[in-house]
Amino acid sequence: MSVLKLLAHLFIPHESNNQKAKILHPISLTFLAVFIVGFQVLLSLGGISFPKTLGYAANISPAEVIRLTNVQRAASGLSAVTENGTLDAAALAKGNDMLAKGYWAHFAPDGTSPWSFFLKFGYKYQYAGENLARDFSDAPSAVNAWMNSPTHKENILNPHYKEVGIGVVEGSLAGANTTIIVQFFGTALGGSPSIPIAKAKDVGTPKPVLKVVVSSPVPKPSPPQVTPSPSATPQKEAISTVSKQLFSPFSYTKNLSLGIVGLLLLVLSIDLIVVRHKRIARIGGRTLAHIAYLGMVLAVILILKAGQII
Amino acid sequence: MKHFVKHLPHYLSLFGILFAGFAGLILFSYDKHFQLSIIIASAASYVAWGVVHHILHKDFHFEIFLEYLAVAILGLVIILSLIIRS
Repeated sequence: MSVLKLLAHLFIPHESNNQKAKILHPISLTFLAVFIVGFQVLLSLGGISFPKTLGYAANISPAEVIRLTNVQRAASGLSAVTENGTLDAAALAKGNDMLAKGYWAHFAPDGTSPWSFFLKFGYKYQYAGENLARDFSDAPSAVNAWMNSPTHKENILNPHYKEVGIGVVEGSLAGANTTIIVQFFGTALGGSPSIPIAKAKDVGTPKPVLKVVVSSPVPKPSPPQVTPSPSATPQKEAISTVSKQLFSPFSYTKNLSLGIVGLLLLVLSIDLIVVRHKRIARIGGRTLAHIAYLGMVLAVILILKAGQII
Repeated sequence: MKHFVKHLPHYLSLFGILFAGFAGLILFSYDKHFQLSIIIASAASYVAWGVVHHILHKDFHFEIFLEYLAVAILGLVIILSLIIRS
C-alpha cells in the first residue's frame, strides 16, 4: 500500500475503510486512549527515574504575591496586609518542611500544623491563616486561582488579618521538581517580633508553584515560645535565581492532547464533507455530535492551566 | 444540514450537556475532584445522548454504541490526564 493510500485509508472515507476514516473506528480511538494512558505512565516513570528533569518552571516573586493580594483586598474595600519578616521566615520553613517530608497538605503526616510554624518563629497570633499553591508559572496565576476558590478567597479577603508572609520554595515533590508558594496571614497578639524583611523573599526564579489555602482564623492565646534567632531562620531562601529548563508533564500532556484532538476534528470535518458530497449511506454515529464533543474537549484543553491549590 | 435542522431539539440538548460540562469545569476549577466528576458525567451523558438519539431515529446498532463510547473514553482520558497533571 503506497503512502498516499495509507493516508487515505487512515483519514478519508474510502472503500478500504468501509467509508469511514480508519482513525475514527472505535478500535483506533481506543488505541489512542490507551496510547495516552501509556504516555502518562511513561511520564510518571520518567519523574521517578529522572527526578530533576520533570517539573514546572515558574517565576514567582513574593513581593508580587503580596502586591496582588493587596490589590484584591483594596478592591473589596479592605486595608492592606503588611509584610512581616517573621511570617516570611515561618512560611519559608513550612515550604521547606513540605519538601523535606514529601507532603502536599496543610498538615504534615506527623501531625505538624501550619500554626506551629507561626509559634516556632515567635509569632503569637490572634488570627492566622494559610494559603498554599504549587505548579503555577507566575504570581498572578496563583493569586487568581486563590481568588477563584471560595475558601482561599475568604483568607485573602479576611478583614481580621493585618500581616502577611510569603515563602516560595523549590524542590522535588513526588518525583517532580516543583515550586511551592506558602502564604501565611496573621494578626499578632500584642507585639510579635519581626525579622527584617531582608532575604526571606528573594524570588525571581523558575519554580513550580504550589498553593494550598487553609482557612482558619484560630483565635487562641499562644503558649510561651522559644523563638529561634532571626539569623537562624530559613533566610537561606530556598530559591535559586538560576532559571532552568524542566520538562513539564502538564505541557507535554497538553501538547499531545491538542495534537490528537486537532487531528480528529480535522478528520471528522473531512468526513462530514465527503460523506455529504458523495451521499454515502453507512451505519455510524453522528459526525456532528462527535465534533461537538471533541470541540468541548478542545476548549477544556485550551483553558486548563498548570497549578494546584488545596 | 437537513438532518441537523430536522433534529434540532436533539442537538440543542447535546450542546446544552456539553456546555454545562464546560461551564462546570471552569466554575469549579478550584475543586479537582468535582472537576473529575463533572467530566465523567459529561462523557456518560454524551454516550446516553447518542444511544437515545439513534433509538429515536430508529437506526441504533451496537456498533454505534461502541463508537460513541470510544469517542467519550478518548475525551475522558485526555481531560483526566490534564486535570491530574495540572
